[in-house]
Amino acid sequence: MYEASAPRRHDLTFRHTVDRDSEILRRALKRIPAPEPRPEFIDRAFAKATGQAQAAAQPRRGALSHLVSRWETWTGALVGAAVAVVLTLFLLRPADLNPADITLALNETRAIDVLIDSERALDDATIRIVATGSVALDGFESDREIDWQTHLAPGNNVLSLPVVARSTGTGQLVAVIEHGGRTRRVTVTLNVLESESSRT
Amino acid sequence: MELMVLQKRARPSHANAAAEFDHLLRDHVPALYRAAYRWTGAVDRAEDLVQELLVRLYPKLDELRELDRIRPWALRVMYRIFVDQVRRERSSPVQFGTDPVEGAEDEGQELIDPAAGPAELVEQEFTQERVMAAWERLGEEHRVVLSMHDIEDYSLPELAQIMDVPLGTLKSRLHRARARLRELLATERNPPLARV
Repeated sequence: MYEASAPRRHDLTFRHTVDRDSEILRRALKRIPAPEPRPEFIDRAFAKATGQAQAAAQPRRGALSHLVSRWETWTGALVGAAVAVVLTLFLLRPADLNPADITLALNETRAIDVLIDSERALDDATIRIVATGSVALDGFESDREIDWQTHLAPGNNVLSLPVVARSTGTGQLVAVIEHGGRTRRVTVTLNVLESESSRT
Repeated sequence: MELMVLQKRARPSHANAAAEFDHLLRDHVPALYRAAYRWTGAVDRAEDLVQELLVRLYPKLDELRELDRIRPWALRVMYRIFVDQVRRERSSPVQFGTDPVEGAEDEGQELIDPAAGPAELVEQEFTQERVMAAWERLGEEHRVVLSMHDIEDYSLPELAQIMDVPLGTLKSRLHRARARLRELLATERNPPLARV
């Protein structure tokens, strides 16, 4: 049977020396200089990391495919009380391209409904929404422009766009529908005021 | 009439995500860079390593924001990238995962370390120049373990997690790294005579 024996004095001394040596070595290592990263490197590295990810995740068409399922939640019902304005895009009919201006209060979010009246079912129609100036699409504040492909049913299709007024002044909401080489565009001007007194 | 409702994004927009990523990691980059520099020994390689780390981490933003301690986690990812890089450079598997030497679990192993002569290890002799010269000649796997344990003060259990190796293997690796560094320091102390 193995029987542990008490460490001998010689062992303890040797161990103490080794520990001391390790500590000396450690202190010497800590003195090795390591440079700081160049500030421009850090900025560039972050830009590259986030930019690469964006590029990989964003082919122009279909990149918002995760939204399509939401957009294609066809309810078959008219928009309720949130409806503020209805814009009409006629793909195959004359279009009213001069809707009245809309006034919003600062920080107000309002649903702006776009009525797409299609004579027939259209697959792979492209919808592009551009928000400029004082307004943005709520939930998409960093994206001035979004586009995606979707199916349009025959008849009226209502596209409900939550617009947020983020600064006073004037903004525009542009909706573009493209299909088969044809394009219809409607632009609505939105005025953002400090108070809600001038709301339309 | 068909109704399509544009809902708020459940995930942050790209700009928000990039800003959040920056906010979470920027403070850690200098320490990660210094570690990368110690591992690689060169500015350009350290930059490449940190760049690759950030590229790998950005898609993991959801995971990042849930972490209590980001740096060890990032260090672990960076270590894996580094091991892969070294493997590619050598075109053969690098021996990062060698088996522990017999008895490596025993802390007392250092008692029989023949390389640790007490008379040789005099602090005054460890000039910065000499230590740096020895460090540059050290293998990558030795640099990594010494860098994280002896310089950055990660504990052995923390390091075992970062490097994904058993504690015994890690102790053995640390022991060998120190022994190798001592050898190199001894060589630096007694450089071969120059030919005339």
